[in-house]
Formats: sequence, C-alpha cells, structure tokens
Amino acid sequence: MGASGARADPGGRSTQKGPAAGARARTVFAFITSALRWAITSARTTISAPVRQLRDRLPAWLSPGAAVIALLALVSTIGVALTPDRASQGRVMWTFAAAHHVMYVDRVRAWNATRSPKIDLRLISLPALERRMLSAFLGGVPSADLIEIERRAASRAFAGPLSSVGFYDLTDRLREEGLLDAINAPSFSPWTSRGRVFGLPHDVHPVMLGYRADLVEAAGIDVSKIETWEDFAREFSKLQVDANGDGQPDRYALNMWETHNDHLELLLAQAGGGFFDESNRLTIDSAINARVLATIVTWVAGPSRIASDAPNFSAAGNRLKAEGYVVASFFPDWMGDIWEHEIPSLSGKMKLMPLPAWEKGGRRTSVWGGTMLGIPRTAVRTPEDFEQLWGFAKELYLSEEFTEILYREGGIITPVKAHWASPLFDEPSAYFSGQPVGRMYIGLAPDVPGRNSSPYNTLAMNRVADALVRLAEEARREGIYDLPSLERRASELLRRAHAQVADQIARNVFLAEESGGGGS
Amino acid sequence: MNRATGTVTARAATAPWVFLAPFLLCFGVFTVYPLVQAVVLSTQTTFGPGATRFVGTNNFEAMLRDPLFWRACSNTLIYTLGSLFVQLPLALGLALLLESPNLRGRSWLRLVLFSPAMVGVVFAAMMFSLIFEKRTGLLNQVLHAILAPVGITWDLDFGWLQQHVMLGLVVASLWMYVGFNMTFFAAALQNVRRDLVEAAIVDGAGPLSRFWNVTVPAIRPVGGFVVLMSVIGSFQLFELPYIMFSSSAGPDNRALTIVMYLYQNGFELGDLGYATAIGWALAVVLVGCAAVQRFLARGEEAGS
Repeated sequence: MGASGARADPGGRSTQKGPAAGARARTVFAFITSALRWAITSARTTISAPVRQLRDRLPAWLSPGAAVIALLALVSTIGVALTPDRASQGRVMWTFAAAHHVMYVDRVRAWNATRSPKIDLRLISLPALERRMLSAFLGGVPSADLIEIERRAASRAFAGPLSSVGFYDLTDRLREEGLLDAINAPSFSPWTSRGRVFGLPHDVHPVMLGYRADLVEAAGIDVSKIETWEDFAREFSKLQVDANGDGQPDRYALNMWETHNDHLELLLAQAGGGFFDESNRLTIDSAINARVLATIVTWVAGPSRIASDAPNFSAAGNRLKAEGYVVASFFPDWMGDIWEHEIPSLSGKMKLMPLPAWEKGGRRTSVWGGTMLGIPRTAVRTPEDFEQLWGFAKELYLSEEFTEILYREGGIITPVKAHWASPLFDEPSAYFSGQPVGRMYIGLAPDVPGRNSSPYNTLAMNRVADALVRLAEEARREGIYDLPSLERRASELLRRAHAQVADQIARNVFLAEESGGGGS
Repeated sequence: MNRATGTVTARAATAPWVFLAPFLLCFGVFTVYPLVQAVVLSTQTTFGPGATRFVGTNNFEAMLRDPLFWRACSNTLIYTLGSLFVQLPLALGLALLLESPNLRGRSWLRLVLFSPAMVGVVFAAMMFSLIFEKRTGLLNQVLHAILAPVGITWDLDFGWLQQHVMLGLVVASLWMYVGFNMTFFAAALQNVRRDLVEAAIVDGAGPLSRFWNVTVPAIRPVGGFVVLMSVIGSFQLFELPYIMFSSSAGPDNRALTIVMYLYQNGFELGDLGYATAIGWALAVVLVGCAAVQRFLARGEEAGS
C-alpha cells in the first residue's frame, strides 16, 4: 500500500510517493549489497594469506580445515578431561521445583553447619528427574540419596512388583513413630501402593475457589449463600455480560475447559468419583463420573455455558484473568503464591470461598497436586544410612520452622496436624482482601479426598479426558445439552475408556500377581 | 611348502578379518545385538532387568486389538499424506518459481524460504501453539479483525488445536520443511538439460507439457528420494505434537502418533515389551515404504 502509483491528497494535489520510495529502497539495497561485498572481499583477503601459509607448513595429507577440526577436537577433549567432576558433598538430594529449592537452601545450609551427613541439594527439572529416577530404579543402579518428586511421576515407580519399587518402604517406621496418625491421612494416599507407604508427604493441597471479589460484590452476590455448583452457576452467571456487543460474553463465571485434565481430576475427586478406588481397582465407568462429565459439558457449551479458558501459568492466561475475563478459578493452596507474583494487579480484589459442593452437605474441597520425599533403596546400604537420611527428611518436612517457611514462601499448608494450631495461619492476606487464607485451607484439610497411587493414573485420566472432549464436541454438534441425555452418552464413553485402561493394566502381570487381578 | 610361505599364507588369510574386525565389532555390538535384544524384548513384559516375564506373541496380539495403536497409525498416515500431497508439491512449485529467469531477489527468497529449516522443532512447536491459541492466539485474532467489518463474528474461543489438530501439525511442518525440500528440488532442476527444453519449445510444447515430459523425468530420482525421506520423517513424527500439546497426545488423542505411542508405553508406563512391539510394526512399515520406492526406481531404470 502506497508503494507505487500516483494518488490525490485531500487538497486535490497529486503526489508521487511510489516511485520516490522505490528509488530510495533501491539505493539502500545497493548500499547494503556493496557493503556486504566489501566485507566479504576484505575477509577473504585478510584470511587467504595466513591460510596459504598454514597450508605450506602442514604435511600434504592434512588440509587446513582438517587441522582446525583436529585442533578443536584436541582442545575440547583436554577441556573436558581437565574439568573437575562436581563431586557430591555428602548425600545428594534431588528436587524438581525451583520454589522448593529456594525454600530448602537455608535449611540445608543450617543442617550442614551442625549435623551430618552433609546434604548436597540439587535442582533438576521434573522430566529429567523422572527419567533419571526411573532409569535408576529400572536398572537397579544408584541415583540420589533423597528424591523429592510429585505425584504422577512417583506413581510410575509403583508399576512393578513391590520388591522392584525403587523407594525404601517407610511404613513400619512411620507407624512406630506415630507419624501415620500425626500427619493428615489423605496426604499418604498418593505414596501408598499395595498397603505400603514409600514417601513422606510434603503437603495437603486443599482446593478452594478464588473469585474476583470486586466484581462479585459490586453485583450484590452473597457467596455465603452458595452451597452447590448449581447455586454457583445460577448466581455467577449474572456476571456474564457482552460489553462490546459482538454477541459473545466478555466475561465468564468460571475458569475451566474440557481439555484441562487437572480441573477434571479435582472435580471428579470432589464428587467422590475418580479413576481408582482405595484398593486401586478401576472405577472409570462409575455413575458419579458420568454425572460430573455431563455437568462439565453444560458448563463449557450450550445455552447455560458459564466457563471459559484462561490458562494457568501463561502470560496470555494471566492477562485474561487480570482483565476479568473469568471471575472464579480453582485455587489449591500453592496457587495463591503464583498469582501474587504473576498477577499483582489483582491484590486486594480477590477472595477465596470453599468449592461449591455437588449436592447439599457435600464435600466443599478437593485436591490438586502433591509432593513426597522418598529414600531410594540403593541409598540405604547400612541401617545407619537409613537413620541419617530419615533424620534429615523428618527435620526438613516435619519441623515447626519448616511449616512457617512452607506457608510464608509457598502458601502451602503442612500435613502435620499438630502445627495447624499455629497463629501463623490466622494472619490476614492482603492479596485475598484480608482473609485468613491459611486458616480457611486448614478448615478444609481433613476433608481433602484421597488420591490413588496407581501407575496407571495418568493413563486413566487421559482416557476420561478423551471421553469428556468427545462428549462436549458431540453436544455442540448435535445441540444436546440436557443432563440426562448427556449422562447416558457419558456412561457409554466412560465404559469404553474403562475397557481400554483395563486392557492396558491386564498386560501388567506383576500387578496382577500381587493384587489378584491387577487392579481392574 | 616352507615355513615362511605358510606364514605369509596364514597372514593373507587373516589380514582381511583384522581389517574388518573394528567394523564387525561395532556392527555386532551396536546393531546386531540390539536387534536380537529387541526381538527378545518384544516377547516379554518387563519392569527393569530384574522383573521380566515371557509373554510370547501377546504384545503383538494386544497391539492389533488396541484401538489407540490404530488411532496412532491413522493420525500418522494423515500427517504423512499431508506431507506428501501438500508439502512436496509446494516445495516443487517454489523450486520452479526460484528457477524462473525473470525472478528478482532469488538469493534472498531462497534464504527466506530455507531459514525455517534452521529453526529448532521446539521453537516452531512453541510458536505455532501460540499462533493457534484460543482467544489470544494470532490466528483467531486476525480472523476476528478481518471478519468483523463484513459483519461476521469469528469465535475467538475457536480451538484450532482441539478441532483441527492434524491441520495444525501439517501447517507447522509445512512452515518448517517446505523450504528444506525445496532445496532438493532446486538442485534437481539444475540437472534438467537445457537442450531438451529448447528442443521441446521448438517442437511447440507448452509449459505444462515441457514440465511433464522434460522436467519431471529429469527430477524423478531426486523426487523419489525426497518422497522416501518425507515418508520416513513423517512416520517418525514425535517432537512437534509432543511440544505443541504440552507432552500429551492432544485432546482425544488427536495428535497421537506411532512414535509418541511407543514413547508413552515404553517410557511413561514402563512397558518396554509392548513399546518394542510397536517399534517393530513401525520398522516393518518403513522397510515396506523403502522397498516400494526401490521397486519403483528399479522399474524406471529398466524402462529407461
């Protein structure tokens, strides 16, 4: 546009911008070309003489290029050989979360100053940590002496026979020391396989609903009267408006989408559904799951739509949240800290409320995430090895000092029930409009649903998520949004998903041998 | 026969083996042994070296019954067809365009078209996942802006990477590899004999006829090579969807490819036996493609 041709300006005068601009562009292009040509010629002239001299000095069988490559190879080999290996300073601990690493650095330093063994704390990205851990476990070779790992990655270590699980069995010690009772019971479930506990729990991770208090209160909505998801949909849908008149709402009540597996999993767990029961038997095709899937579809599609997608952990999603595109989001205890850092503009505008229940009197929370600290079997060569590592693990995770660090720096509630009485948790949060956020989460902690430790959890979740995506798309395509019809179709899709996962589990002869049917 | 002659004869007999030994050792350790081990592994279910069970042909039977395996096959096939019937013709078209004598700025254009091939797959995958993003993605924003003045409301929440997964992957790979394949065709076009082209012009052949009867036969060997490489590359598709869909197979497994399914089974579920069975299926398909290409090439050689 405007690159060529004459055109009339508002005053009627003719302008000839096109040819002039073209001539300018040609001049610039010619200049750049000449400059490049000069640079190349100069470089060639400068380099050619030394290259010729080098060629004369080298034996006939060695060209200058080969000589340079050989020299580089030699230098790099010597460099690698002389680089000192980072010898471990005592016992090595791996963690996957940068936020955890920050919290642990001072604790480890304090431990190393007065106690033994010395701990060498290392931060490794989760995929790398998972690969190294599983490779070591599968190969029966040493890895770290302590491994902090999240739920889904840890469960993969439980796929083989119990004797092949790479983590040291902590069950007896936890029982002897009374820790099975001292720690919030649901926190053990992700690390328990076939009745044995393989990790010390780091957290509880109850989930609440975070909402834009400024918008909700301006609309006169009283959240204390919201008990169920039905109440929530009715009240919060009043906030959905089409401000710019393009026929689409510019604000939605809930931040959720059918493709977000974490949201699906927490809603299923809250409703009492899920993928496996307490005995790790497959429960994908349950009626509860069908109901949850059908309800989610009415949230994300159709005339009663209340949800849209403002993804977590992304700049685009944060912008949408800051603009008020979504009013309410799921908030596990660790999420508040992330919002405070990533969306500071919402400070004083947010509030938390318990999750609406699936039915009156139902569970008002769920669970999202989870971390444990485990001791690999290969790290325990003598009873003293275990005592030393176990001593550090308890000091790191269960002390009162750590409870404060965990909450202040990560917003995370400790699973140690005795510490819940600390006044720390009554402090008002500026970000959440002065609410005592810690106390609110602790109030919900005992109701957190248990999580399973099946190595097939991710697989099961993916198959159920596939069923949800299919159900939502079919509903959109056929315009069917009534709950009974959606539930019927959800049941069919879930039965298919159930069969697929059962087939996969049936192939694992180790689980089948030890649990009498492999959990399906 | 004296002793010296015997020694020389023995040396002559062993010398070839001494020279071949390094290769045979490497070939045995890095090729033959893994192949044999892969056959053994495909008949086992495993959890590390300490826990293995012989299951015979169960893994292969399960694979043939597994709907996800067939889903992965059909997705991979769709992507391969997209590569063959969209990417390669486009690459050839661009190569022909660059050969046009009236084209100015040929070098710059070649650089521009080839440069995406120098970009890592991770970068491209991240870029396209942002472009196809709902609401904030470039594509939805552009469509919304373009269509609004003509009275059409484009749904900003349209999920390209939910509803048109393979299209998204084909477009991303088009951006990455079309310039790369173009260079092969451009090199092949250098081999088209000018005298034949001129003779065809003298004989009154039109551009289409010249392309079909002079250019295509000349570039056919390179074309066969590019097709084979594209098929092999397409069947090995993994990183692009893995990154675009945040380490998953996308909604409803719409981005699940054969290699990704192999990876999921072997390295996420730890079922190396089943993963190896999938690997063998992939190997059979690729060997079949190579055989077909070789057969066709031999037919052409015989014909010429």
